[in-house]
Amino acid sequence: MVGPVRFYFEDVVLHGVLDTPAMTITETHVGLYAGLSQDVPPEPGLVPELLPLCLTPGLGWRVNQPPLAVMAFMGFEWEVLHPVRVGDTIHSRSRTAVKRSMREGGVIVEERQVINQRGEVVQKGRFTFLVAKRPS
Amino acid sequence: MSGPARRWFEEIEVGETYESPGRTVTEADIVIFAGLSGDYNILHTDAEYMKSSIFGERIAHGLLGLAIQSGLFTRTGVPYATLGVGTLRWKFKGPIKIGDTIRVRARVTAKKETDARDRGLVTVERQVLNQRDEVVQEGETDLLVERRPAG
Repeated sequence: MVGPVRFYFEDVVLHGVLDTPAMTITETHVGLYAGLSQDVPPEPGLVPELLPLCLTPGLGWRVNQPPLAVMAFMGFEWEVLHPVRVGDTIHSRSRTAVKRSMREGGVIVEERQVINQRGEVVQKGRFTFLVAKRPS
Repeated sequence: MSGPARRWFEEIEVGETYESPGRTVTEADIVIFAGLSGDYNILHTDAEYMKSSIFGERIAHGLLGLAIQSGLFTRTGVPYATLGVGTLRWKFKGPIKIGDTIRVRARVTAKKETDARDRGLVTVERQVLNQRDEVVQEGETDLLVERRPAG
């Protein structure tokens, strides 16, 4: 039997950069997100600041690489630099900044940016994950 | 015409504390968030696999908890005249499972002037608690809040 392919701690390349495909943020995204969270945009036409952040992991699933074997999402730091508007097309760029082996798995710190259709970095930060090691 | 009541930067005081109503996180929340975000990690979507994990069942996306607490925060009282979120520093401390009821406890820890004269920065420390009062997420957010318009 062949199980799902996963990207383990050992597979992560330190300082490796990944660009995701892009996605256009629509009223539907904002409406679904607002209905789910009650977190609404500060004014009509704008996208709630946390929504692009929430979309980055899913964008990461669309790169040509198996999904990271995340055991736990430990935390993040995030900075909102410019507003995202409905109709903007965003993608995400990430770079592995830290790779630290632990007894159970390893810690990966990823620098992540959200970039709009004009190439402007609209949000950026650092994500910390605990990632599984390849089963021996 | 006056809109709904909102609190200006000047009206918010360091040390104020708030507690939100609770919200039960359901399977539907997780499924919708997976569909919306495209994050189909097995932690959130594979009930059979998760039976044998340390959690014993599917858990909510950490960022779903973050999004829900953001909405809950606006229900703690008269909302701020918020222009936006500036920065966030956030830690995921424990799982949110299907059926857990979470709420936010928050405290204003700092206020700062900014270069822009129409707004200020309010730092709010937040804890997301479950029905057993366990802290499942915690962090700090810097919010841009409008000043009272002159005149």
